[in-house]
Formats: sequence, C-alpha cells, structure tokens
Amino acid sequence: MNWIVADAISSFIILVGIGLPIFILLKAIGITGFKYVTRYEKYDSFLYRMNPATKLLLVVLATVVASTTIWWVATSVSLTFLGLFLTLKEGRRKFLLGLYILLMTVSGIAWTDATSFGPFFLHRIQHVVVVWVWPASFASLGFRVPLTLQALVFGLEASMIYMPTVLAGLLLIMTTTPSGILRSLKKIGLPDELNFAIVVTMRIIPKIFDSVNITIHSQFMRGLGSRGSKILWPVYVILAAVMSVMPVLIHLLKEAKDTAIAADTRAFRAFPHRTYMTPMVFTKLDYTAFLIVAIVIAAISVGVLLGLGRFTGYLILLA
Amino acid sequence: MMTDEKKGIGTDVLEQQAVRQLTSRNVVEISGLSFRYLGRDEVAIQADNFKLKEGESVLIVGKSGEGKSTFVNCINGVIPHISGGELKGEVRVYDKLVKDTPMSKLCVDTGTLLQDPESQVLNYLVEEEVAFGPENLALPPDEIRDRVTEAIAETGIYNIRDRETYVLSGGELQRVALAAVLAMKPSLLILDEPTSNIDPAATQKIFELLRGLRGRKTMLVIEHKVERMLPYVDRIMLIEKGRISLDIPKQDLVNHIEELNEAGVEIPPTYFYAKQLGLDNVDVTYIRQKIREKGIVLAVPERRKAERTLMQVDARVSVMSKIKGQNTEKVLLDASLNLGEGEVLAMMGQNGAGKSTFLEAIMGYLDKTSVNFKVRLVVDGEDLSKTSIQTRGKYITFVPQTFELTIVTNKVESEVAYSLKQHGVKDYKSKVEELLEMYSLTEVRGKDPLALSMGQERRVAMASALGSGAKIIMLDEPTSGQDFYHKGMLGKEIRKLQTLGYSFIIVTHDSRFVYNYADRMVVLSQGHKVLEGTPEEVFLESEKYSIPPPTDYYLRV
Repeated sequence: MNWIVADAISSFIILVGIGLPIFILLKAIGITGFKYVTRYEKYDSFLYRMNPATKLLLVVLATVVASTTIWWVATSVSLTFLGLFLTLKEGRRKFLLGLYILLMTVSGIAWTDATSFGPFFLHRIQHVVVVWVWPASFASLGFRVPLTLQALVFGLEASMIYMPTVLAGLLLIMTTTPSGILRSLKKIGLPDELNFAIVVTMRIIPKIFDSVNITIHSQFMRGLGSRGSKILWPVYVILAAVMSVMPVLIHLLKEAKDTAIAADTRAFRAFPHRTYMTPMVFTKLDYTAFLIVAIVIAAISVGVLLGLGRFTGYLILLA
Repeated sequence: MMTDEKKGIGTDVLEQQAVRQLTSRNVVEISGLSFRYLGRDEVAIQADNFKLKEGESVLIVGKSGEGKSTFVNCINGVIPHISGGELKGEVRVYDKLVKDTPMSKLCVDTGTLLQDPESQVLNYLVEEEVAFGPENLALPPDEIRDRVTEAIAETGIYNIRDRETYVLSGGELQRVALAAVLAMKPSLLILDEPTSNIDPAATQKIFELLRGLRGRKTMLVIEHKVERMLPYVDRIMLIEKGRISLDIPKQDLVNHIEELNEAGVEIPPTYFYAKQLGLDNVDVTYIRQKIREKGIVLAVPERRKAERTLMQVDARVSVMSKIKGQNTEKVLLDASLNLGEGEVLAMMGQNGAGKSTFLEAIMGYLDKTSVNFKVRLVVDGEDLSKTSIQTRGKYITFVPQTFELTIVTNKVESEVAYSLKQHGVKDYKSKVEELLEMYSLTEVRGKDPLALSMGQERRVAMASALGSGAKIIMLDEPTSGQDFYHKGMLGKEIRKLQTLGYSFIIVTHDSRFVYNYADRMVVLSQGHKVLEGTPEEVFLESEKYSIPPPTDYYLRV
C-alpha cells in the first residue's frame, strides 16, 4: 500500500480512537450535562424512597460484580443501572446522558486498552486477526504492535469493569441528598470530617462546572481560537479548560472559607455525635434490595467458582 | 435528676441558653483588642474599648477591607478558632472569653449570617439546611423539629421548606441561611453584609425580618445600605483603617455626616439637606417640601442622548418542561434591546427576571442542550446572529459578576495582553502600556492578579476585557458587594470610558447608581421588558416591579 495512504488511514484511526470520546464529552454531554447528572433533584420513585445506606450498598455491590465477573455480567449490570435512569426525574434526558457517559467511557477505555495493554496479552493467543498494521513512521508515537480484533475485544471487555460503578454512583448522587449520604457513611464508620468533605464536594460539583463554564466562555470571548481552524475547536476547549483550573480553584477556595465559617458557627463537630431530625429507617423496599444483593453475591460466588470470573472465560475460549 | 446519657449531649446546650436568658448585662465586652493576620505587617483591627448591651442593634460601616469583618470575627470566634494570627486583648461574649471558649460553646450564643448565601448553604434541601445546626448540637429530634418549624415560620419560608436549595433565588437562599442561624437560637446575631448579593425585593424582606428581630436579639450588622438599615439600629459605628473611629447613637448621625462621607460611607442625601437647611426632620417628603419652599434647584445627572443605534438585540429563550404530563414551553426571556453609541444603559429587575440570560444571549453563551433560543444580534450594521463567541468578542466584551474567574494568567501584564495576543495585534505592547496606565496598574504589572486587592483585581479584569478592542462593554452586577466609595470610583470610570467612545450595558440592583450614572434604563420582569426610558421616566413606575427609586430621585420630582 502506498505509504501516504497508509499514513492517512493510520491517522484517521487514531483520530477516531482519541476523538470519539472527546466528541461525546464536548458535544453530546457538555458541562451542562455533567452538572445535570451530578446533582440531587427531588422526586418520588422507588430509588428516591430507598434508604441511602441501601443505595451505597448497591454501589459497593456493583463494584464487586464488575471487578470479579466476566464481561457480559458487568455489561448486563451496567445496562440494568442505565435502565434505572428512566425511573428518575426527567428520566429520558438522564437516560440519554447516562448512555453518552457509557459510550464515552467505553470508547475511551477500549481504545486505550486495545492500543496499550491489549498487545501484552496477545502472546497467549494462537490465532489473532490483524485489523491494521501501523506504518513504521508511527512507531515513535508508540504504535508498534498491530491492532488486532482480539485487542479491541479485550479493550471493550476491560472498559466494562468501570461502568457499573460509574452508573450506580451517578444513581446514588442523583437520588440522594448529600446529608443522606453523610448519614449512611457515618453508619459504616467513616469520620464526620471525611463525610462532611464528601458532602461539601458533592454540593460544589455543579458550582465547579458553572465556574469552569464562565472561564472557558470568557477565554473564547477574549479571542482564544479566533485565528485557528474550526477543526481545532476541541483542542481550544481543552486548553481553555486547563487554563480555568487555577482561577476556579482560587475562587472555590475563597468560598470554602465562608463554608467553613458557616459550618463551624453552626456547631459542626461540636460534639462527638450528631442527632437527626428524621431518623434513618429501613423499609420493605430496602429489605427487598438486601435480598437481591444477597442473591447476586451468591450467584457471583458460584459463577466465579465455575470459572466465569473476570477474563478467565475469554482466555479459556481463546486457548 | 436525669443522667447525662438520658439527657443527651445537646441538653447542655438547652441549659446554657436558659442561663443566658436570666442574665442582663453587656453581651459583648472588648478591651485592648488587637489582631494581625499571619504574614501581614499591619494590624487588621484594634479596639480599646467596646461594649454591646442586651437587645442593642449596631450598624457597622466603613470601606471594604478596613476591618469590619475582622472585628465581628473576633466576636463570633472565627478569630482565633478558624483564622489564625496574633491576637491581643480580651473579647468576652456573655462573660465567656472568646479565645478560651470552643466554637461549640460560642455558637450557642452567637449566630453569624454571611454575605454570600451560596457558599454558606451546605445542604440540598431547605429543611435539612435549617436542621443542620441543631443536629450538630445533638439536640433531641423533637427539639430539632420544633426549632426548624419555628425558624421557618419566622423567616417566612414555609412555602419553600421542601425545595432543593440550589433552585432558590439568592434572596430565598439568604432567608434559608438566616433561618438556619435562627434555629440555633442565638441571642447575639452577627450579619456581615447580608443583602449584598440579593435584589431589592429580597433585601426588603431581610430588612423586615431584622425589624422583627430588633430588641429580641442583640445585633451587629455590617451593611453598606445605610439609608435602608437606619430604621432598625440604635448605634452606628465606623471602622476606618482597622480602628473604631466613630461610635454614635443613631440620632447623632446628622452631626457626623461629613466624617462618614469622607470615610466613603453612603449617607442618605436627606441628612445632608437637613443639615444644610438646619432641619431636625430627615423625612424625604418634608425635606423635598423645604427645598422647594426655599427655591433651591437640585442638579439632575446629565443624560446623554445617543445619536445612532450601535446594537440591536431580539432574544427569545425558553425551556421545555413537563407540567401535569404535558410538555410545556416556559419562556425565560422574550425581549428586544437597542443600545446607542456612547450610551450607558442600565438593566434592572428582580433575580430571575432574565437579565443575566439576556447578557448570555448577546454573548452567544447559551447552551442549546439546556435551552431553546433564537437571538438576532446586529452590531454597527453587521449581523452577528450566527457568529461565534470569538467574533462577537471583537465587538462586545463582558465582565461577569465573578470577574476573578476571567483571570487566567499569573501576571497582570500578560492578563491585559491576553486578548490582544489572541487577536493577533502586532503592536500589542504599546496597547498594554496604555491599558495599564489607564487603570493605574503599572506598579503591579509583574504581580499575580489573583493576589491583588479586589478593587485592583476588578481593574485587571476590565483592562483585559478592553484589550479585545470591543467598544461595547457589558457588566453583570458590578456594584454587588461594593461599598459607596468603590461604587463612586466605578461610576467615574464608566463616565470616562464613555467619553472615549465606549457604550455600556450594566446589570445592577443599585437604583442610586443607575440614577447617577445611566443615560437610559430598562426593567425586566419574568423575561419581558416592562419599562424603558430615562431613569426619571422609569422610576415613576418602577416600584410596581419591586425596584424602589433612590432618594436622590424623590428629592427632585
């Protein structure tokens, strides 16, 4: 093949591999989208009624399932959690955002793993299907081992480790007030100081997105990228986001002082224990969830014993 | 007698508050106080002797950065328990020595409300926020519920008690913050610029709450809106360069207006005229009548009439929301605006009226994934409706309320040069020099902008914004949190730039500022332009939209 064509195809593959998650991040999700899926909104559906401690348990379960089972189990759990987005307030919009986050994470991790880690496992596989051989000129960029179908499949499977935790975490954040999370964290023995830090962080996440937005817009208004090509727009967005770190951090630190004063002048940490206006109660819904958790854990244990643990099945099939 | 375990830890708090009610004495006693922040050479506050009686209300005034907040922070325990430094002398609150008493005990007696409601509200739901303090005091659940109910009723937020805090307006949020403080049942209330970030209607509600609390609580209030705060206080205290330079009963104000005015404090104009005319009544109607009787003609601020229209905007912004299962369009903004060349146009309206959305629509900041919008923007005959933010930035510049977020470099001169470099201006260095000179920033050119004072920081943001070469400047709430002195400086700066050919759109809640510096004004309400004209024309009807005209205007009509 003509080296110019080979270079062009290689560049295109790399551009798609790196560009797709960035495109989804900037175009489909955006700062507004992230803000939307990282804050609590009052609503009445079963996830909102569930005890925060139960939901926290579900997040832990999701992590355990994803890290111990074969890829399709993690995928099924991810899709189940994604389906639960539809039960939230403005469920369709949140479902779409969840789907974009899933696609962004899967495409990003799959590409990285397929081109970085996948090749290291390939020596264990007898027959590989080569998708693309990188030209010699790409070796300096780190593309030495040919891109194979097996590496891509490996990347996709590896990406599924993260999705259940990400989606379950978002469900927890969107359906539980920070103070609810604080109380459940306290139940599992985390100190108040750490819990408070987590809660305040959750409270300021939307504010961080707002502040970054202001800084990015301001840089564009002042001419950032005005002389560059439109195709470089994502690069300018990333550059502006990086430049926003310091002003946003300083802005938040200034606010943090007020937050500390507001907390300490209202007796935060005044006593070793807090009391609560509304006691934390477990309902039938929570006990049902506990039952499901127990069944899932039992199923996982059996599955792992049968050789359906993470990657083992895949490697066995290939061997 | 109950055992400690049965009483619960919080029962001690109830006892402490019960004992406090039986005593009648000075709530605050200060002697020989001096405090210096870590790493600073100068003393931030010095007070030889200060006493505050039970039930008294004191208004603390002075320029920003002169030591007002430091003074109250020495009383509520923030100094030395949160902010460290070199502290000398004694501060006692209800006989307890502040430096030796933990915050957990101090906050039972002293409640503190800060300026920015956003940063002091910690919880997602209103009820949770109000309950936060009593829960920290480990009070029994029934007691917490009673206190929350009482505080919510007292602050008039019953209708929003189950709402998320992040959907509330600034005014509502500040009332929630006040309810959260009142739920602690403090006897001494410290309010540090409680109305700086909220609109006039919300400000009025806060003042009404303070009126209700007067006498029942002892209050220390830092506030720039002297005229509106006066009815609710007994004493006025001026803090200048870290010292209490004046501490007078309210009735003596008329004898000290020059001192206060020189110290950069906003004095109601009626006090000036009362003194000039030798009157002992400061009622605005009475003063106006006397001025007329004596044939005095008060000068009206000059209003410039633009010779041609520089910018035209038609904007419609809406969101789709589901109401009773039906998709319904909610209009956030549907208004048009013309800006004349060299004109200062003020935009007023309550929080949520659509002012900031209007500025964002003009700049092209709106996000089509969250709102639907249609904007027609013509500047100097050129249609910019479909252009990028960068292109609009050549004609229009925007300084947001949180202007420090626009500063992205670590040197004043590189910040000022940013726009010029991005736009590829070849001789940018001479333009930078010109802007540094214009904004008196030459001496600090090598410093980090974010390490400067707030006034200097704002000037860096303005100089940098002007570097783009845009001739239209939009300022979002530039007067918010500013003292009288700095507002005056800003007004003069705007007038100066106006003579250099710049045009302004200024969003503000400060009607006195508008009266003094705007050529024309518009009022937005629920996304629609409801009033437009000169300040004299608009203030005739603005009260219908919760915008009280300034006293300067009343004296002249």
